[in-house]
Amino acid sequence: MATTILAQRKRRMKAQQWAPYVFISPFFILFLVFGVYPIGYSIVSSFYNWKLIGNKAPVFIGFDNYVNVLTIDPFFLSAVVNTVFLLITGSLLQHVIALPLAILLNSRIVRAKELFKTAFFLPYITSTVSVVIIFGNLFDTNFGLINWVLGLFGLPHFRWSGEDLGIKVILSTILNWKFIGWNTVIYLAGLQAIPAEMYEAAEMDGASGFIKHWKITIPQLYPIIFLAVSLSIIGGMQVFEEPFVLTGGYDNMGGSGNSGLTAAFYLMFTAFKAYKIGKGSAIAWLLFITILGLNAINRQATRKYNQ
Amino acid sequence: MKRLCFMVVLGVVATALLTGQAIDPAKKYEVTVGAYGDLEKAYKAVIATDDFKKKFPNVTLKFQTSDFGGHHNRLTTVIAAGEQTNDIEALEVGYIAQFVQAGGLTDLNAAPFNAKKLSKDLVKFAVANATTEGGALIAMPVDIAPAVMFYRADLAKTAGLNMDNVANWDAYIAALKKLTDKSKGVFGIEHPAAVSAIPLNGGKGGWFQNNKPLEPKSKFLDALSLVQKVKAANVDGDLGAWSGPWSQAYLDGKIASIVNGAWFGGTLRTWLSPAGADGSSPWRVAYLPGKMMASLGGTYLSIPQTVPGPRKLVAYEILKYLTNSPVAQLTTFKEIDAFPALTTVYNDKVMDEPVAYYGGQKVRKIYADVALNIPENKVSEYDAVIGGIWNGAVNDVVSGKSTPQAAYDSALKKVIATIQ
Repeated sequence: MATTILAQRKRRMKAQQWAPYVFISPFFILFLVFGVYPIGYSIVSSFYNWKLIGNKAPVFIGFDNYVNVLTIDPFFLSAVVNTVFLLITGSLLQHVIALPLAILLNSRIVRAKELFKTAFFLPYITSTVSVVIIFGNLFDTNFGLINWVLGLFGLPHFRWSGEDLGIKVILSTILNWKFIGWNTVIYLAGLQAIPAEMYEAAEMDGASGFIKHWKITIPQLYPIIFLAVSLSIIGGMQVFEEPFVLTGGYDNMGGSGNSGLTAAFYLMFTAFKAYKIGKGSAIAWLLFITILGLNAINRQATRKYNQ
Repeated sequence: MKRLCFMVVLGVVATALLTGQAIDPAKKYEVTVGAYGDLEKAYKAVIATDDFKKKFPNVTLKFQTSDFGGHHNRLTTVIAAGEQTNDIEALEVGYIAQFVQAGGLTDLNAAPFNAKKLSKDLVKFAVANATTEGGALIAMPVDIAPAVMFYRADLAKTAGLNMDNVANWDAYIAALKKLTDKSKGVFGIEHPAAVSAIPLNGGKGGWFQNNKPLEPKSKFLDALSLVQKVKAANVDGDLGAWSGPWSQAYLDGKIASIVNGAWFGGTLRTWLSPAGADGSSPWRVAYLPGKMMASLGGTYLSIPQTVPGPRKLVAYEILKYLTNSPVAQLTTFKEIDAFPALTTVYNDKVMDEPVAYYGGQKVRKIYADVALNIPENKVSEYDAVIGGIWNGAVNDVVSGKSTPQAAYDSALKKVIATIQ
């Protein structure tokens, strides 16, 4: 009898041991199938001349795709330059606005905080296509609000979506508008974790508002700043939908002077318009290495304060 | 008795083989069709006709319709993966070149289809586009888009213009100047880039001459110079096609003219400029300036190689009907303004009928004349990429960033680097 109970208990223990693995297995199975496998396969495909059209077999070409992208390709480097430009003016500039906004939102003088938080976050969850179409209309040459305002000051109509700089201005504006709220909410969460006693002590020492934020808020927020900037770098280097919709899709390759052609846009063009899946994979890995490098710089810049 | 039965069966099989009969009247068939845009609407109207019901009483069509990009992305992906496709797949002319070069679609000129004798009644340039150098026909044209000029008769009349026989592009630009009245928000044409593809016969193929890209140079320089002239004339509204301001400008009657494929008439009629109570509109149709002949679009029907053999035979019968039957071709034209690829219907009385929307003008005669005279273009697997690069050159000329010569040189450099 005692032996039977012991055996049952052993079985139960065994079941309890493997049960957690069963519970977490759906994620790992899905991640392996739809995450690890395609990512790994893209490394393999980047070494092949593989056209994603017709039924010809891929041909192994070693590092030729990488060499081609970095030395011969007429678009890749300019696409990276465009992306970095948008990263600075669109994705990084927003932190300069989001942080003071979060501080303001965290202060006692602002009422109806929830309302503001919701309003700031709304652009982030709005459909990118809708946003780009609306901004396209705002910047329209003849009927756009922006040119109408310029007209009030006697300024001529500017062909925003037809000029190199104009395209970048529209894209930067969209990126800022869409993601400032997102970063504000992240910073706000960080601000709420800073102990109030630190500010009270500073006040007793006679610190001004600016000094308090400079000496307490910013250093205390460094881990959050690192996180938010890292997310911006990752997102900013992969900007695709905004320029794609604004400049009229693959047929225009980013509009005048390929001004809206970002690295991710060119990746998609190469893989799914030119159907060169091998070269597209090589671009994807070069983009990944670039993002990794930029994040390493970000890590280095904030390391002192993260420790 | 046994011998008699055997002889009867043998006779039936032999007759079926000799006549190429793929459809057994005793069986029921379902043919799947991959389509985009309005094609499903048109083909549903075709299968609702008595003619189709009489010829294919036991065949039903099942559609898988997506938007333009989604359809072609799906098709290219499943073919590349060797996966099952629909029995018949529609292809826009811009995609035909890649399949011509890369394979994946059934050769309709090969046995048992032997489509060569059928394709002789289809417009030549469209058949040539879908034919490989080895003579394989990988898809059959079902509709084409002869390019014409649409113009507003009311605005032309006010400006004292006769737009029916514009002598050349310079005369067209001069007319656009008279049609433009920016104080009233009226533009001669939507955008300078709207004319860029016309001298290139729509830009579907024709990018190479003797394996040299962007040759003959004069053809491409002329196209860029034309864009520059239109821009310099200050007659455009800088309206990007299909944008909100673009459609609103048409709805408000602020665009006086456009050069485009015949299908654009359907867009005007159903969306941008619906007819009045009497069924007419201010829009009229004319030949392109200088009676230039060009194509701007078109659809093909194909049977992917992965379709199982017996299904291919049934699919081919339907494909044949949709492309070679006058009833199917005219029904499609009536439904979605997709101009027939079948030349034998150009003599049909419907082609000579006045069209109420165009104030009773016999526009179909113009379409048919253009369709029969569109020059042939040689397609290549690089067409889509070169098209993107070329549009960049056009954008550079429109923005004033480059002269036609500089834009051409830059585009050529990019094309050479890209196709290496």
